[in-house]
Amino acid sequence: MDLSQKYYVNESRREFLKSSGLGIGALGMGSVLNNNLFAAKNAQPHFRPTAKSIIYLHMVGAPSQLDLFSYKPELSKRNGQKCPDNMFKGKRLAFIRQHPLLLGSRFKFNQHGKSGLTLCEHLPHLGSVADDLCLVQSIRTEHFNHAPAQLFMHTGFGRFGRPGIGSWINYGLGSENHDLPGYVVMITGSVAGAGNSLWGSGFLPTIHQGIEFRSNGDPVMFLSNPKGIDRKDRREIVDGINFLNQQSFGVVGDPEINTRIAQYEMAFRMQASVPELMDTSGESKATHQMYGTQPGRPSFANNCLLARRLVERGVRVVQLFDQGWDHHSSVFNNIPRKAKQIDQPVAALIKDLKQRGLLDQTLIVLGGEFGRTPMLQGKSNNGTGGNVGRDHHKEGFSMMLTGGGIKGGLSYGDTDELGYQAVDHPVHLHDINATILHLMGVNHENLTYRYQGRDFRLTDVHGHVQDGMIG
Amino acid sequence: MRHALTLLIICSLNGIAAPKHWAYKAPKRPAIPKIESEWPRNPIDYFILAKQQQSQLKPSPPAKATQLLRRVHLDLIGLPPKPETVEQFLKNPSDHTYEKIVNNLLKSKRYGERWARPWLDLARYADSNGFQADQLRDSWAYRDWVIDAFNSNKGFDEFVIEQIAGDMLPNATDSQRIATGFHRTPTCNIEAGVHPEENRVNQVMDRVNTTGTVFLGTTLECAQCHDHKYDPFTIKDYYSIFAFFNNTPLEVKQQGDGVTWNFYGPTMELPISDGQQKALDTLNAQKKQLDRQIAKLKNDSAAQQTEWEKAMLSALQNVPVWSVLGIKHFSATGNPIHKQQPDGSVVVSGPNPDKSTYTIRVSTNLKQITAVRLEALTHPSMHKGGPGRNKSPKENPNFIVNEFELKVDGEKIKFNNASASFNQTRWHVNGSIDDNLTTGWAINPEFGKPATAIYKLAKPLVIKPGVPIEFSIAQTYGGGRTIGRPRLLAMNGDPRAINFPSNITAILKKTKRSRQEAKQLADYYLKENPQLKTTETELAATIKKIANIKPPTTLVMVEQKKPRETYIMTRGEYLSPGASVTPSTPPTLHPMKKNLPRNRLGFAQWLIDPANPLLSRVTVNRWWAEFMGKGIVTTEEDLGTQSAPPSHPDLLDWLAVELIERGWSMRHIHKLIVMSSTYRQTSNTSASRRLIDPSNTWITRTPRIRMSAEMVRDNALEISGLLSTKMHGPPIYPPQPSGIWRHVGRNAPKYIAATNEDRFRRGVYVVWRRGAPYVSFMNFDAPDRGSCVVRRPRTNTPLQALTLLNDQAYVEMAIAFAERIIEHNSATTEERINFAYLTALSRNPQPAEIRFLKPIIQRQLIRFKNNPKTANELIKGIEGWKPSEKTKIPELAAWFYITNILLNLDETITKN
Repeated sequence: MDLSQKYYVNESRREFLKSSGLGIGALGMGSVLNNNLFAAKNAQPHFRPTAKSIIYLHMVGAPSQLDLFSYKPELSKRNGQKCPDNMFKGKRLAFIRQHPLLLGSRFKFNQHGKSGLTLCEHLPHLGSVADDLCLVQSIRTEHFNHAPAQLFMHTGFGRFGRPGIGSWINYGLGSENHDLPGYVVMITGSVAGAGNSLWGSGFLPTIHQGIEFRSNGDPVMFLSNPKGIDRKDRREIVDGINFLNQQSFGVVGDPEINTRIAQYEMAFRMQASVPELMDTSGESKATHQMYGTQPGRPSFANNCLLARRLVERGVRVVQLFDQGWDHHSSVFNNIPRKAKQIDQPVAALIKDLKQRGLLDQTLIVLGGEFGRTPMLQGKSNNGTGGNVGRDHHKEGFSMMLTGGGIKGGLSYGDTDELGYQAVDHPVHLHDINATILHLMGVNHENLTYRYQGRDFRLTDVHGHVQDGMIG
Repeated sequence: MRHALTLLIICSLNGIAAPKHWAYKAPKRPAIPKIESEWPRNPIDYFILAKQQQSQLKPSPPAKATQLLRRVHLDLIGLPPKPETVEQFLKNPSDHTYEKIVNNLLKSKRYGERWARPWLDLARYADSNGFQADQLRDSWAYRDWVIDAFNSNKGFDEFVIEQIAGDMLPNATDSQRIATGFHRTPTCNIEAGVHPEENRVNQVMDRVNTTGTVFLGTTLECAQCHDHKYDPFTIKDYYSIFAFFNNTPLEVKQQGDGVTWNFYGPTMELPISDGQQKALDTLNAQKKQLDRQIAKLKNDSAAQQTEWEKAMLSALQNVPVWSVLGIKHFSATGNPIHKQQPDGSVVVSGPNPDKSTYTIRVSTNLKQITAVRLEALTHPSMHKGGPGRNKSPKENPNFIVNEFELKVDGEKIKFNNASASFNQTRWHVNGSIDDNLTTGWAINPEFGKPATAIYKLAKPLVIKPGVPIEFSIAQTYGGGRTIGRPRLLAMNGDPRAINFPSNITAILKKTKRSRQEAKQLADYYLKENPQLKTTETELAATIKKIANIKPPTTLVMVEQKKPRETYIMTRGEYLSPGASVTPSTPPTLHPMKKNLPRNRLGFAQWLIDPANPLLSRVTVNRWWAEFMGKGIVTTEEDLGTQSAPPSHPDLLDWLAVELIERGWSMRHIHKLIVMSSTYRQTSNTSASRRLIDPSNTWITRTPRIRMSAEMVRDNALEISGLLSTKMHGPPIYPPQPSGIWRHVGRNAPKYIAATNEDRFRRGVYVVWRRGAPYVSFMNFDAPDRGSCVVRRPRTNTPLQALTLLNDQAYVEMAIAFAERIIEHNSATTEERINFAYLTALSRNPQPAEIRFLKPIIQRQLIRFKNNPKTANELIKGIEGWKPSEKTKIPELAAWFYITNILLNLDETITKN
């Protein structure tokens, strides 16, 4: 093989390959040997994956599981009573400082599908795909402030500096599309508190970071040419750059120059492929109706449709962040409003993937960085006030998973009758991350990266794959 | 590996000292290998050559003079040589000339700026807090301190001591205190609901871990929760180091009594800036002028006072009375219940809307109105009787009148002043007539009694019978801060007679006044004299402005008087304290001298002890990596049992000892490296050469390294001729796409790109917001500075291509470069291409390159001349830079084609 053709993406990876020996995931090794402009081309999963792509929907601010997914009639019955001591005394809460009252949901919960899965009345569309959904009702996390909890959810660590789950997957598996990044992020509302670090690559090479596709301006930063430079000009300029780089390679012999040439070609292709991807005008009227979208109008629904277009094109990881779920007050006004924004498009995404035969190989995860208390926050008339809300809660909350090998029509695990503590099949966020990696065909204990003399993993020294959630 | 571990365990079980790993033994100066060769220029080369010979390898030939010149410029000052420098050097590229150039570069102010960058990565220096409310904080003085420390060749030992404990040095200077900003850089979460102690512990842990990485090349945090798995550090060792850092105050401060927190902690004041001094001078001059005016007004007032006395005496004959305005119609947005009372007031009750605007139509018998009065009366329907309906907290029944308006016959009536029975701080009644809904009148804590505001009309208003008179009271603050029982009154007469004090009236009426009475009267007149009043208001505003010019500040470390107890935190959890520990250094490393104080300063002095096996090695290894692309130990962040073995252990030790023995001089080591033959090899390679030493472990060539993010930009700025070398000061804002600084939490700062020379200053000064760092830097592998980073990755991505091709900042640079080429004194296109190459790549172009570029430029010239519209479009799209008038636009556009290509070349962004 001509060595000049066998170039590596990046020096630190090359270095890491050479100095390997301990604890390097077989995956990482595989990917190093290939040049894929964004990530690994022929990276091998550890075992046969059930999911090829993942769409991760982060409801930023942490939605109330008790008003969406987790039906707690006993809590409603005891609405307005002081909460039992063990829910307050000796506990640290973010906002509540005085012994709070219990707050039952004021929404109706309905049973859906053959499975009879229970969902809040404000999720009728998701109800129509209930038999595909797995609601994990017993999740715990380590943090109850937004930014650290968001970092923990994505990176397995409550402070800055580590790669997020999307970067880990992108690092381990690479992408199947060579004209688009392997890991794409889209945002509605303001950005999450922890900022870009949620999709940052931490200590992993930066090629594995999420690339944000924006709804306004250039979808990818610096994608459009300056005014007065059209596509033909750009072609000529890129040709010029590549020709001169080629000349330089002849003299210098550094294979990195060939990589650069390939990257300029890729950049040129992206200038066409990204706008093509973002343009949904070619989608059928029925599709737009199903999602509730209009071409060219940014929304969470539009991002759901784009997510389908991305996984359809082989993009490995898509993450959608949606801000506005931090309901310290007026939870009963806010939940119907926010649920309406996501219910139809998420259900449409599931149906759309299903009818295209992609749901089986696409894992969808929906959740927030923590849950919300069954206790009332704010002033109330014995729990009947209109502006009441719920505080941050890390002892027990819910996430929704579907597709990609997940068992449908399942409510997995549970909190106690008041919705406070995960008691039945408690699942830590580390377990969720381990399970996600498992479904992607990756053993979370073997996907490691050596940094500062230590092999790092997404799940640190924790994480148990939850076989019960897998179909 | 497993063997070593077992051994360690057995040894510790038996209490026998394990054979120490090389990294934990102090370096001794090794003998320089004896080799007969012409090649070596200094000891570095002997070590390198010896290893090469062991593998039957040879060094590469020396680099071309131009390649070397550009390389050493980029390495030492981070900027390419100027074209004149290249031409001069080519005339006499001797060793002697080279050394002279090196000496000058080491003394250049640009040297400190270039070397500050990697240090600031280690120091996780940024201009914002990180996390949810990623607000800006000022500690740029620390960044400037690092630049200046390198420029003044401060010994690395002092450099360490001042950053760790400069505040504790005897008679610490300002500069030494600023240096402690090193450990005031950790991220700090101030989102609502954080727990301050947890926050503080996180900050201290960050300090301990960063100290371990930066000065000891050791991942101490592995011992944060349990004994270190590989390196010989226990959890007790960790918290014993923690104890040195555990005496600083909390770094968040509660705002009010809620769950909202602000970033806080010790700061120090810096001297005020030149700009501030200028403003101060102007204001002081203004103040003097006003003082003089006031004195004069007081002097001249005697005659006017007599006039005034007459006018007032007649006005007081008929002291005006307030008459209640009869209500014809009352409505309120949000639809609360309202009921008119016999006394002319309205009681508003029932469901309290968040915000409410009252519209009140009234009638009156007055023929003329000169002032109106708004009363907020008490009523049992409100908590404490009100007078406001504030929902929460209930104990504060406040209201806020954001705007008070009077319309007669649909026309808005102007008030010229307002006064109130009580004004809450920052909620003065003037705010209710300023056409601004964010200000207004409120009365906390004067609850349980009526409140009154009087609005004087700018001129008397004649009331025609039947004309509609309508008041509007906007209460838009939210939270139900509305008046529960408003009443409106009006009067006719001389407004000056309102509230005219009775004692002054008495004096006024007297024909004979005592001296004291005369003075009292004169004082009152002066107080009421409108011109004097305006001048005095102006003076007060000026004084306030002067007081508001505050010196900039920077974050520093301060030791608490009373030390905190430190406990081992079980599993790293601060709520699970274990055994208590005292400040002490890990037994694996050199002992802490008896005479050193057991505090932060003592710890810093322990770090720079020549017996420390790690500090000097870790430091020279990192410098080596900056020059050579990777360290002698390639895991630059970790020199321990888990690190890669050093490729040249003797060289590492030799350099480490050399550093210590040469007064910890960074400049000395840097000079040694760049003067060596090792450094001066060519970086050119070939497939066959790479086969022999694939990863260049034996340094058989000098590596090619893609520049750091900041250097990519600095380099292009210098090439384009736009670079400003202005140093120091608050962070700068070069252009970036809009919408990057999205709202993150409260008080989110705005990104406004500079339009002055700040737009073109070096990357080290660019604002670093952790939640959204400068985009083009991120695309070239810059970290978010949320934590200490030793090694930046060096990737090669399409996003980098897009950045250099299309980022507004680089388009500007390409155009400016084009103009620079056109304006250069060249006769032919070839000469211009030649100048462009000398400027961008520090070399002359190859014939093939000229052959390729010349037709492009000729073709584009014709095209843009025939199509000036496209050329104009291109040039007009540039925001931050305007071409000089004489430049021809089509020519500029044509050369943009070339400069856009040149600034994108691999060679341009690579240190060759």
